[in-house]
This record gives sequence, structure tokens and C-alpha cells, in this order.
Amino acid sequence: MDFTFAPEHVALRRLVREFAENEVAPLAMEIDREGRVPFETLRKMAKIGLLGVCFPQKYGGMGAGETGYCILMEELGRVCTSTATNVGAHIGIGAMSVYLDGTEEQKQKYLMPLARGEKLAAFVLTEADAGSDAAAIRTCAVQDGNEWVLNGTKTFNTNGSFADIVTVMAVTDPTLGARGGMTAFIVEAGTPGFKVGTHENKMGIRGSSTAELIFEDVRVPHENVLGKVGEGFISFMKTLDVGRLTLGAACLGGAQAALEASVHWAKTRKQFGVALAHKQSVQWMIANMATEIEALRSLVYRVAWMVDTGQPFTQLAAMCKLYGSEVASRAIDVALQIHGGLGYTRDFPIERNFRDARISEIFEGTNEIQRIVIASNIFRQHGVRIRP
Amino acid sequence: MRIIVLVGRVLDPSGIVVNRRRGRIFINREEYLVNPADRCALEAALRIKDATGAEVVALPRGPLPDDDVLRQALAAGADRAVYLTGDGFKGADDAVMARVLAAAVERLGGADLVLAGATTLDTRQGQLGPRLAEALGWPQIVGAWQVEATDGKVQAVLQAPTPRVGGDRVLAPGRRWGKTPPPRVGGDRHQPWSPLPPPPPPRVGGDRGGGYATVETDLPAVVTVLPGALKPRYPDGARLINIYRAEDAVERWDVADLVEADALKPLLERRGQDFPPERERGVRVSGTPEEMAQAVADALRQQVRG
Repeated sequence: MDFTFAPEHVALRRLVREFAENEVAPLAMEIDREGRVPFETLRKMAKIGLLGVCFPQKYGGMGAGETGYCILMEELGRVCTSTATNVGAHIGIGAMSVYLDGTEEQKQKYLMPLARGEKLAAFVLTEADAGSDAAAIRTCAVQDGNEWVLNGTKTFNTNGSFADIVTVMAVTDPTLGARGGMTAFIVEAGTPGFKVGTHENKMGIRGSSTAELIFEDVRVPHENVLGKVGEGFISFMKTLDVGRLTLGAACLGGAQAALEASVHWAKTRKQFGVALAHKQSVQWMIANMATEIEALRSLVYRVAWMVDTGQPFTQLAAMCKLYGSEVASRAIDVALQIHGGLGYTRDFPIERNFRDARISEIFEGTNEIQRIVIASNIFRQHGVRIRP
Repeated sequence: MRIIVLVGRVLDPSGIVVNRRRGRIFINREEYLVNPADRCALEAALRIKDATGAEVVALPRGPLPDDDVLRQALAAGADRAVYLTGDGFKGADDAVMARVLAAAVERLGGADLVLAGATTLDTRQGQLGPRLAEALGWPQIVGAWQVEATDGKVQAVLQAPTPRVGGDRVLAPGRRWGKTPPPRVGGDRHQPWSPLPPPPPPRVGGDRGGGYATVETDLPAVVTVLPGALKPRYPDGARLINIYRAEDAVERWDVADLVEADALKPLLERRGQDFPPERERGVRVSGTPEEMAQAVADALRQQVRG
């Protein structure tokens, strides 16, 4: 058993941390206030290859694997959850779906520019009446000769408003449902009939864009079917597994930032004549927080190693997302308590982190869905099939 | 054109605590950085490479326990890096390094320009560049803001010495290398210390005294670069990963092949450690804004008069 990072991953973390602290952190408060996507940061990330961190170099990526991707997400989550969300939606689910299920031609045509960061991706699944129940989508695709015609409206699409390439799931055979009746498609922005609808005015991650996407007779060539016709649901769930692991990594970074801020504040803030660090109530908060963070770190990087070594990881990825989002929320809640009234003001980053952290318990499958995934995997090993 | 850059490592100062009372330095987090001035020297070399296609070779500025800083230099864009190892080399000081590096330059088949950081972050050593220039018999420019090399010449922008006002400390050393961008290389090269147009914008607490001057010398030469002079680039990610995965990315030379054993005898001998005298505490003023302003003015006046 070896728990050390490879030298290239140590070097990558040093690069990413320096980048995050110099280029991402200074904008975090501003993009939250203004509610804008930091495209300038994304361009800088693209220039040094960070937007293709986990993809092989033959597809224009960095070749740092899932471990490298988790390092990137942890370091981004530590300084700015919005930026981590933009990057996660681009790499982890948008481009990842092309990488996992695309044909060689699709990878050459779509993954290459995505990995190089020349184009940005989004992953389009959720609908107004199909959130946790993703199999209830109604967007449909009908074959017409060598083309498919898409119709429907998708909601809560991170990066959707500006993505150049989106992967969309649509019903292709209503009689078959999730198994056999759904197909994933690659759609390019600018295709006639493909429009951006309303933008969500969110509580947190305000530096990321969440928009409605409307498909009105959007014609997509047959070669843009991602994976096999009828296997879209399985393919999207596979992509979400990776997304969940790296969301756990981003939560790890958020929790780590909360710990660092708490330690710093406990060292400097004096009450009753001593620094807070000398108060046992604060010490216990810090100790509990640090313990949970270390447990999460072990989980996240173990699962990253499992992905890199080709082992099945669906259940553990759900655990990363579930535990990560809860650890981050708890850590930031405790950090706010340690900061007291000042932490509640907009002059401190804690309030932003507090708003940002909450979404992690909701998106990429609510924590309730993660518990269903974990439980059904456990029961399946004991011969019991659970239906949600 | 071949440019040699000297890179070294320093302990990350944010991971250490100095305890004066116990006369010790505690290392809480042992992490190392590329010496910031050396990173600027590397950036200067890479900019010359971008402009002229020069070859950049990284050499260590001192004995290193591993080749990590050299890999960082390669990742940033250096073409070659050489790690120096050998018996009796571990305690090498700048005098030894100057001899070793002069021999290394010769073994590389010569070079046109050597760039190094003007100072190290940890012990504020600035001798290596000048000593190496002496060992090579080359001209030297010390403490450059900017470096350009073309057609057998090197030009560097230097900052005029800050005039001393009142006491012996004018500005904290870290501040003096503030962020005001120096003027581009150019202007009148033959009028030393003339302020070049456009003058740098004045900053609060950052009076730059006599302005900038551009100096020029023939190649080959040694130029040392100030920390904070240039913003180092981020390495390309894929290049970084490949360099850290390649076992043989860094060449390894034995110093015994470069110099005789007695050339490795250091000039410095460590006899103990002591702390510089503690700085005087400042004065806290209170009262109405008028009273506080008056108190500050009085204190300043007293400082200037001594």
C-alpha cells in the first residue's frame, strides 16, 4: 500500500495551487457579486492545459489522469467554488461524456478542442419534471433519414448559456424508458433551433452560469449520436460517476479552506484575554473538522486511484459526493460559528463559501439519490434489487 | 545562442517560525520554493528564448538533495538541465560553486549568457553571479530589472540606488522591489542614471530615487536579475507531467569530473547561529485625527533630523 502522490502529481498540485491563488482567488468575491463567469480565468487555464487535465495527451489533454483532475478540483474548490463548478461542468461531465463514449472520430472532432480549452462543454440532462428522476425526461429525438430531430426544454444547465458543444440526452423510444429508450447526442452551439432560455438567479455559485436550453426541431447528424442508440441513460450515469468523484474533491478543497480560515482566525482573534485557539470549545470544532477532512481526502484520492487503475467505482463515487458535500457544509458552518458576527458579514469570504457549499448537497444527484445509489449497490451484492 | 540559468531552492518562509527567545528556527512545514530571483532569471532567459530561439540550460546554484528545481526549470521551458552530484560537494558555498559552475560552462562547450538571481530569499546571498563572472573572466551586470540579448550584446535595465533619507533604513528591502513596471529597454544608453521616458508612476512609500538606466556589455556575460523583476510564466501542464514522468529528463554530472578535489574546499565555515538585533517597536498614536496627524508629523520630523 502506498499513499504517496507521484512526483508529477506533486508538481501539478504546486502549479495548480499557485495558479489558483494568483489568478482565481483574487476574482472570487468579484464574480460572486457581479454574477459573471470568469472567462479570462478559463482562458488562462486553457493556455496551460488545465481544461484537459485528465484526458490523454493524444486527445490534446494533459494526461494527468483522474488523480490529477481531483487535485485540480480540490485546489479550485479551496479558493472559488464558482470557478470549480465551471471547470467541473466542462471537464467532468461535458467533455468526459465524449471521452467515455465517443467514437474515435467524435474524440478527434469534439474532445480535442475541449481538452485544449479552445471550446467549452456542457452536459444537458435535467428537465423541469425530471430532476432526481432523470429517467422521466421528455425531450425527444426522432430519426429522419440520416438525421435526428430534437425537441424539448432542458433546465439547470451549468455552462449551457455559453458552451460550444453540449451533450444532450433525449428519449428515442418512449416505450422502452431508461433502458433502451434514451440516446445521448452531441449538439454544437449555433445549430438552428438550439436556443438559450432563462438564466437562474442563484443563492450561491453565482460566478457560474445556469441556464435553460430550448431545442426546437434541432437537426443533428446521425454521426453525433454519443455511444449507441438506446444506451444514453447508462452512458450518462457512467459520466456522472466521474463527476461525483471530482465534486467530492472540490468539496474537499472547500472544507480545507474553511479549516485554514478557522485556524487563522482562532490564532488572531482574542476574547477573554486569549486567542480563540486556547478555548477548548474551538479546539474541538477544529479537531472534528480536520478529522472529517482527512477521512474525505483518503476517500477521494483512493477512488481517484481506483479510476486510474481501471477498477469499478460507482458506489464509492457516490460516497465521495455524499460525504464530501456534507463535510464541506459542516466545515463551513463551523467556520462561520468560529468567525462569529464578522463571518456573517459580506466582508469575509465565509458567507460566500456558506452559500456556495449548499449546492453540493443538491446538484450532480441530490444526496438522497447518492444514498439510493450506495444502498442499491450494497443490496445488489446481497441479491436484492432496489427500485427508487 | 546558449543561455545558462542558475536555479536553487529555498525553504518556504511561510512554513517556518523564528523563536528569538529560544534562539531557534522551527520548521513547521518543510516545503521548498525555487528561489524567487532565480525564477525571474529563468523567465528572463525564456523571454530571450522566445525572441531569438536561444537554447536555455539550467544548472543548480548550489548543492541540491534532488533534481526537483531543475525539473521545474525544464517544465517552465528550459531545454536542458544538469544535476551536479559528488563526494565533498554537499557543503559547497558560493566560492566553490563559482569554480564548479565555471568548469560546467566549459564542459557544456561554452555559453553566451549566464543568468542568475541577484539574491537568495533565505540567506540573502548575492555573491554567486559576481564570483562566477570572475571565474569565467566575463563582464557582469548585477541586479537587472530587464534583460535583452541580441547580436553579441546584452542590455539590462538597472534601477538607480535609492537615496538615503535620514536614518540608515529608507525602505524595507521587499518594498523597494515593488510592482511598478520598469520602462522598456531603450532610450539613451549612454547617459547613466538618467530617468528614461516615460517615468515610472510614483507610488506611496515607493520613491524610486534616481530612476532607471540601461547598461550594455558584450557577450559572453553574467547578469543577475532582481526578485520580482518579471512575472514568471506558468509551465505547460502536459510538458510538466512528461518531465516529471521521464526518469532521465535531467542529466547527472559528477563534480569530480569537473574540478579537482581541493577546489571543493569551502571558504565559509559555520561556527554557530545568532539573530540580528531586534527592530525597535513603532509608536502608537491616538486621539483626534488632528492630534494623530500632528504626532505623526512630529515623529517624522524627529526621524529626519536624527
